[in-house]
Amino acid sequence: MIRVLFFGRLGEYAENGRMELTSPPAPGTAAALRDHLGAVDAGLGKALAEPQVMVAVNQEVVDWDSPIHDGDEVAFLPPVTGG
Amino acid sequence: MIRIQPEDFDLAEEYQQLRQGGAGVGAIVTFTGLVRDFNNIAERQGASVETLFLEHYPGMTERLLEDIIREARDRWQLSGVTVIHRIGELKPGDQIVFVGTAAAHRAEAFAAAEFLMDYLKTRAAFWKRVRRGGRNEWLDMKDSDRMAASRWQREGKQPGRDGGGQQ
Repeated sequence: MIRVLFFGRLGEYAENGRMELTSPPAPGTAAALRDHLGAVDAGLGKALAEPQVMVAVNQEVVDWDSPIHDGDEVAFLPPVTGG
Repeated sequence: MIRIQPEDFDLAEEYQQLRQGGAGVGAIVTFTGLVRDFNNIAERQGASVETLFLEHYPGMTERLLEDIIREARDRWQLSGVTVIHRIGELKPGDQIVFVGTAAAHRAEAFAAAEFLMDYLKTRAAFWKRVRRGGRNEWLDMKDSDRMAASRWQREGKQPGRDGGGQQ
């Protein structure tokens, strides 16, 4: 199982900003997960395709071709607006 | 020291904490950010902000702040650093962020405080949502914040390293 978290405006596409998937979509990369989510929900797909959206696996920002394994926490992060 | 909390903070207490860095502390700079009721000049015409909601990524946000503080300590000789960021629902006029730096000389303390704020704005995992005119909207990162942070990369300058002897 993988846990998927959505922050900022992306959180509006999932109840409480999170969802669970039984396994990483093939071929098991962050990009594959993004594409899978976009295929299920076109609105989310469009939001995730924004060039400034970043992905973190187990709380580390990674490249889109990074692998995702069972048990991972994957987070989609829009541009930050703190301070 | 890093604190992420819904509670307000007390400037005097944080200042006293930074003073405890020993006799070598010659300068303390504190910055406090407040919630404004508009987000840039162009939006002044629009409805006023009723509330501001701050979201963070527990665990990751703390680690990113630690990275930013470590970078500041690599660049400048600091005897104390405090970063406080509030989360949850805030109102215009509320304190939202505190950055305090203690150093031997003012140039280091000023530069480090500015660096910390610039990087906090562009790299720390916080997201703001405002409620105005009865509607919620997530805010976008401002170009001016991006520019402010990028100057530290471009210059690679370390103001304060050879600062004078006076406070």
